[in-house]
Amino acid sequence: MKIGNRIRGPGLGTKLLLWGLVLLIVPWISYRQLVGMERLLIQGQSQAQLLTAEGISTLFNGREDLFNDLPIRIQEYESLYARPLPNPIRIDGKDSDWGQVADKALKFGVDADKHLVDGGFELLLGERAGWLYAFMRIRDDAVVFRNPEYLRLDNSDDVRVNYIQADGEDGRIVLTFAAPGVTTAYHVDPDWKFAVGMPENQVQGHMEPTPDGMNVEFRMPLSMLGSRKFFGLSFADVDDPEARTVRAVTQTLPSAGKTSFNLVVLRSPEVLNIIQGLGYSGARILVIDAQNRVRAETGSFTISEEHEPDTTTWSAAAHRWYDFIRPIVHRLVMWQRWDDDEITEDSEAAINKVIESALRGNPIALRCRVNEQEIIMAAHPIVSRDTVLGGVVVEQNIADILAFQRAALEQVILLSVLSLLVVFIVLIAFAGRLAWRIRELRREATAAIDARGRLRANALSSAMNSGDEIGDLARSVSGMLSKLQQHNQFLENMPRTLRHEINNPLNTLSTSLQNLAEENPAAANSKYLESAKRGVMRIGAIVQNLADAANLEESLEAEELEIIDIERLVENYVANCKVVHRDCQFAFRGAGHPVYARVSDYRIEQLLDKIIDNAIDFHRPNSPIKVQLDQLKDVLRITVANRGPTLPPAAEETLFDSMVSHRGAEVQNRLHFGLGLYVVRVIAEHHGGSVRALNLPDGSGVVVIVQLPLAHPAPTPVRVNGEAANVGK
Amino acid sequence: MAKRIAIVEDDPDQRANYRDAITKKGYDVASYASREEALNGIERQMPDLAILDIILGDEVDGGFQLCRDLLVRAPTLPVIFLTERIGEIDKISGLRLGAWDYLPKPISLDYLAERISSLLRINEVRNAASAKDSSTARRIGDLTLDQEALLVSWKNQPINLSGTEFRMLAKLVRVPGHAVSYETLMNATMQSLVTNNTINTHMRNIRKKFEKIDPDFSCIKSEYGYGYRWSAQ
Repeated sequence: MKIGNRIRGPGLGTKLLLWGLVLLIVPWISYRQLVGMERLLIQGQSQAQLLTAEGISTLFNGREDLFNDLPIRIQEYESLYARPLPNPIRIDGKDSDWGQVADKALKFGVDADKHLVDGGFELLLGERAGWLYAFMRIRDDAVVFRNPEYLRLDNSDDVRVNYIQADGEDGRIVLTFAAPGVTTAYHVDPDWKFAVGMPENQVQGHMEPTPDGMNVEFRMPLSMLGSRKFFGLSFADVDDPEARTVRAVTQTLPSAGKTSFNLVVLRSPEVLNIIQGLGYSGARILVIDAQNRVRAETGSFTISEEHEPDTTTWSAAAHRWYDFIRPIVHRLVMWQRWDDDEITEDSEAAINKVIESALRGNPIALRCRVNEQEIIMAAHPIVSRDTVLGGVVVEQNIADILAFQRAALEQVILLSVLSLLVVFIVLIAFAGRLAWRIRELRREATAAIDARGRLRANALSSAMNSGDEIGDLARSVSGMLSKLQQHNQFLENMPRTLRHEINNPLNTLSTSLQNLAEENPAAANSKYLESAKRGVMRIGAIVQNLADAANLEESLEAEELEIIDIERLVENYVANCKVVHRDCQFAFRGAGHPVYARVSDYRIEQLLDKIIDNAIDFHRPNSPIKVQLDQLKDVLRITVANRGPTLPPAAEETLFDSMVSHRGAEVQNRLHFGLGLYVVRVIAEHHGGSVRALNLPDGSGVVVIVQLPLAHPAPTPVRVNGEAANVGK
Repeated sequence: MAKRIAIVEDDPDQRANYRDAITKKGYDVASYASREEALNGIERQMPDLAILDIILGDEVDGGFQLCRDLLVRAPTLPVIFLTERIGEIDKISGLRLGAWDYLPKPISLDYLAERISSLLRINEVRNAASAKDSSTARRIGDLTLDQEALLVSWKNQPINLSGTEFRMLAKLVRVPGHAVSYETLMNATMQSLVTNNTINTHMRNIRKKFEKIDPDFSCIKSEYGYGYRWSAQ
């Protein structure tokens, strides 16, 4: 048993659980597959976008006309780029609704330090929904408003627009303002002095004074400009309210000697028309020209339906959980960092790189992150003969793919966790049941044989009916037990059988010897006859003792127990010992009061006989044998101590076993079969007590200690068969 | 006329030994090896005393059965069991059947002869006593002990003791109040192999027989480690 405990390893359940961990390979493989699939999808998406870009670009291949609605020698013109405006613009003299475009101002009329001089201005130009918008931040030291009484338009601060009309004629419009607020626009004569016809209602503006001067914001329909979009802008500065002469004109026109118009570069409506139908959800298509200007744009890569924003806290929590778990899982499974090298974080740099590459003639696809969203950018050049006309950029939000991947991953994780849980529970249950059955079997098998090696049961009850290996084990153990029991029974019956069988021939021998002595008086006195008789007696005694010991437990069962005073019993016993064993000294120390126990009195006497015999055999001559009775908490203790040889170290365990004698050669004066102390133990245990033998602490002898449970005396006077007083001699 | 003793013993050697020994004591001995044989012999002539073994050949309880048959024919016949079956149960059943004594093997032939003569004498005395009043009876308190007739009574109620038990009791009450050692009591059993345990068992049986008619009986006291003592109540 001890050895078994020492080499005990992990239990069956633990082992099964460990093996169950092998199941983790399922989610592991799933995750790897998922990552592979994700890559494939993204790659496929990139390819598809490149194809889309290529397809779109083929629509424009060779269509110089679409791009060259501008003069080819574009360098000759000071071009003004009207940027696409993201928001609807309110004409109110404030640039807050211009968005990013507000930062892209061009300066006109600057000194050497690039500071605006008096009359200089910053210009923003944008277009949206068929309108051309302009925003001017004008520096003017003295603002002179128009006096409506004057007919001339050039005697106050004004903004002049010159352009080529759709019909090819020159167009001139002056924006004047009599007070801060709405401006009035007029077509004017070539000298910019008098209005021609009625005010132009299509050109709407607003003037707003500022500390430095004023802001003028206005818009005009692009249709007024015709297809060529020559357009110029100037500010006439009048500073003296009395003289009202134009002090300076700051214009967008280049220096003298060049043409008198700027070129307004716009997205080409034709190009837009072509790509308009190609846009799809989550994708943005841009067409750029060789000068890196956006000529057309359709769609938006922001997801329009926005994935049903996480309204429920559950899904929000799930997504947070996902964002948290994904890098860990990725790292665990792929042995790589979660950060994806392929993603360019800087979207500006990404788009520049894409466009640059396309304009050099190389198709390219890139992934980048914009506002927490991942997009793929694909660009393909538009070529005409050998020149690159521009490029097509297709930007696609891949949130769909990521969402799909996330859903799949969530499913994989959920399924894995669930299936692992289920498998674990099943395994635990199975292992627990198995372990329980084995433990039960072990418990029963252990209980079948008691501490003394006696058989307590001849069959097992647990697991006997199950058809598996444990059942087989139980049946075979049970079979072993019943065979063992048969053998044990044979052994137990042996002394009785032996006595039966031996007593008859012994009787023959004994009676024959007696008859022999009778018949032959000469032989009667022979010492041989005497020794033969002694031998016969001795065999009889041996057989008798063996049979008694073998029957002891059985006869104890038949014994009636009664509550008696052990104090008087032992006292009486020791007093009688002094009479019987005159050559020994006995000392008795009692508890000093009645000590009751439920016993069979003459079995206790027998027990004391055996212990005292033992003590007498081993005691050193002239040393007293000390008998003591103590009452402890709920047991009484009888100790018999004698001086003399000590017990060998190993003897304490086996001393009280049957047929064990630790007598040395020095004591051989009687019949000894090692049954005496065995009888003591059986009697003590039958009374619910115990016995042990110890060496005295000083090594001078041995003490035998018997403990018996106390009993409460019966309320009526207890009948005691023994009386200590007046021992008859 | 010599008394007739019937011996039933299946072992020929022991049978012969008994027969020789008892014949030498001047008895007329008829020895039988089996129950059948014994019944046939007894049919012809009824013995004055029967010594039976229990196991007779293949009949494990042959002796008991034979005892029953004999006592049906002659209820006052002294029967002694002489057997190797010394279990308590066997002994009790033997005595219940009406046997006078139950002796375990190995037996001392001298003791056996003594028992035979004592039982025969007792039987005679009993037969005579039925005619005239017993005069040999001795009284110790409530106890009446007729050593001749092997009769015991307690408070005038007869107690049926076996021969061994009677001898032990007689020894115990010889000097009332004095302790009698185990050794003395062993001699009184007139058996060759006796232990303290045997004495204790006998004493317990005697006590029980007294207690049966007097639940308050407590005259037999244990002298633990020495023996027993009879003390007047």
